[in-house]
Amino acid sequence: MQGFRFAISGFGIISACGNNISETISNFSSKKRNCGKLTLFNSNIECPVFEVKNFNSSSKNMRSLNLAFEAIKQALAESRLLEYKDSLRIGVSLGTTVASQLNDIDFYRNYKLKGEAPLDSVNRYLKGNLADAISRHFGFKGPRCTIVNACSSGTDAIGVGLSWLKADFCDAVICGGADELNLVPLAGFNSLGVVSNELCKPFDKNRKGLNLGEGAGIIIIEKEEICKKRGFSPDLFLNGYGLACDAYHLTAPRPDGSGLKKAIEKALTEAKIKPSEVSFVNAHGTATRDNDKTEGNVLKEIFGKDIKFLSTKGFTGHTLGAAGGIEAVFTALNLKLGWIPASAGFDEFDEEIGIAPVTDKTEIKGKYAISTSLAFGGNNSALVISRI
Amino acid sequence: MNINGVGIVFNRGRGIKSLENALAEGWKKPENDCYKIPEEIFSDPVIMRNMRRADNLSKMTVLAALDALNDGGLLEEDKESLGIILATAFGPHPTTFKFLDDIIEYGDKNASPTTFSHSVHNAAISYASIIIQNRGPTLTITHFVESFYQALILAESWLIEERCKNILVGVADEYGEVMRYICNKKLNIARDGKIKPFLFSKTPEVVPGEGSVFFLISKTEKAKYASIKFSCEIDKGNEVDLCVLDSDGMTGSEEYYLKLTKNYNYFASYTPLFGSILTGSAFSCLVSVLMIKNQKIYASPVTYNPYKINLCDKTETRKLNIISCVKYDCSGEKIEFFVTK
Repeated sequence: MQGFRFAISGFGIISACGNNISETISNFSSKKRNCGKLTLFNSNIECPVFEVKNFNSSSKNMRSLNLAFEAIKQALAESRLLEYKDSLRIGVSLGTTVASQLNDIDFYRNYKLKGEAPLDSVNRYLKGNLADAISRHFGFKGPRCTIVNACSSGTDAIGVGLSWLKADFCDAVICGGADELNLVPLAGFNSLGVVSNELCKPFDKNRKGLNLGEGAGIIIIEKEEICKKRGFSPDLFLNGYGLACDAYHLTAPRPDGSGLKKAIEKALTEAKIKPSEVSFVNAHGTATRDNDKTEGNVLKEIFGKDIKFLSTKGFTGHTLGAAGGIEAVFTALNLKLGWIPASAGFDEFDEEIGIAPVTDKTEIKGKYAISTSLAFGGNNSALVISRI
Repeated sequence: MNINGVGIVFNRGRGIKSLENALAEGWKKPENDCYKIPEEIFSDPVIMRNMRRADNLSKMTVLAALDALNDGGLLEEDKESLGIILATAFGPHPTTFKFLDDIIEYGDKNASPTTFSHSVHNAAISYASIIIQNRGPTLTITHFVESFYQALILAESWLIEERCKNILVGVADEYGEVMRYICNKKLNIARDGKIKPFLFSKTPEVVPGEGSVFFLISKTEKAKYASIKFSCEIDKGNEVDLCVLDSDGMTGSEEYYLKLTKNYNYFASYTPLFGSILTGSAFSCLVSVLMIKNQKIYASPVTYNPYKINLCDKTETRKLNIISCVKYDCSGEKIEFFVTK
């Protein structure tokens, strides 16, 4: 029996893997990893990062907001939803980490050393709540919410959109995540000892940690009947969302992975599908020792050792609050394309994980795919996405 | 959405009894132009044993959430379907600044991992989940003025779609030294220590505050306290018994509130008890919930009333069915929900 589903009528992407869908497909195909030295700000931490290049916005907004606008622009162009903004209740649900924090180091240094500081960055921050700024900019009339659930924020923002639609609080939702590279998370993850000074190697035996990245990934979900009524024939759908908490530790996943397992099972139950119907998983796969071990073991337990899976963080870096949005777009895109790229960075099988991601561009069959996110605070989230 | 448990931590204490006392005592002059939570409120030895490294935002969140949960008397088996939603306007900003202190003083290679992990917005709710041992959906949202309202919409969504049967939904915001600097620069601080919610000034004055409020909401047939609705099938003005204004000076001009006198005829505001907080509508909501539960209206603590609106200025028993809670944002957009019997 089929569960509910909501149409995906558009998506947009900007990351180090490409500033739009076609660049992304090209880099996926050629396994090109656009990683390099940090140029956006100064730091003594030497590590590769995945910066978005050739992205010049004259706007004085926060960079995270500009990245969100870019991805939303692409998604809106595909969905043609703006034409209906006066007649539809359009919600905005966006995840982030950096854009939610008042963490401008120049402002704070001035305040600390001189006792006063210009408030430009404070004003930018106060105008930079992602969902609020986007919703007001376009004049949307639905609910708006910025999700700050750390690294699962993007996935959870899509889940919130789904909940709004199910509860009939709106007709369509612009959802996903956006985050910029910033000194605070770089110094923070470095202090936790999880930043690699080499290119990241998700699920690899010799993985040494994550590389940070930035970007935005947006999908537009809407009620199928409304989508069809306005002449759009959807071929991609959001079918389920699961969210569960570890209640274990502020920064480490519960070693038995039971929180992630619960989130995936909830998403499968909502979609009314069995694990065997899942054609691939876009895993969180940060390339940290703890995450990949826990996640790999859970995927093996639920889907079996032959499940096709990958981490796209080898192409984007860990984009924090944007990751769930970006990876949901990749999942939808790969379902549409009928193939997934190689899990960039993986070379050597890890017995502790007991399961290996795909190493080449791989054809996929079947209707359903899953995208997972794990986060600080013990959050675990999963989305089920399908194609016709 | 039925409210079956409540919890509060604020300048005047912890728990519903503290709130009732504050409502009875009325306005009190703030210390240092703000309403900070006294440190002794965080001294609960049992709960704080597991929160030695936590910041005040996490501590107030856990205390208010736990009190709401215990007040609701949720059975152990019902905790399986418990969700938690925290709304915060600014998150743990003092901890973020502490982390920036590390970077400035010791360099970005030598910052503290503990401080970093606590500077993330969802650290507070993570503590709550660990202490409650909640394995259900847990979410932190931020939306400045609308934070609480959007949290309520999400909570209602989760109940409707049966993602959860019970939800702890609440707010927490902290006031710190950097925020004091920003408030002093950007806002008009009330030097007499009084928020004047009925002045409806173009340039209102603020008294910054901090605190946390949580509600245990459920899809039960009966509510222990009250219910929350986003719209009421009523002829507004005739049936709304009281309109509670969340005018606290934080969102610029308060002239917008004057529009309400066309629709409603009886007003109150309790912001002078809590201080100016962007998530303050949760505190106003809690007073409304208490009024519905006790069938009693509480005197507004500060009653400058130049427009001579019909004001609730004394505490008395009164039949109350519907209370409207209203906040206007900076652009004059109205945020309204109803607390009903």
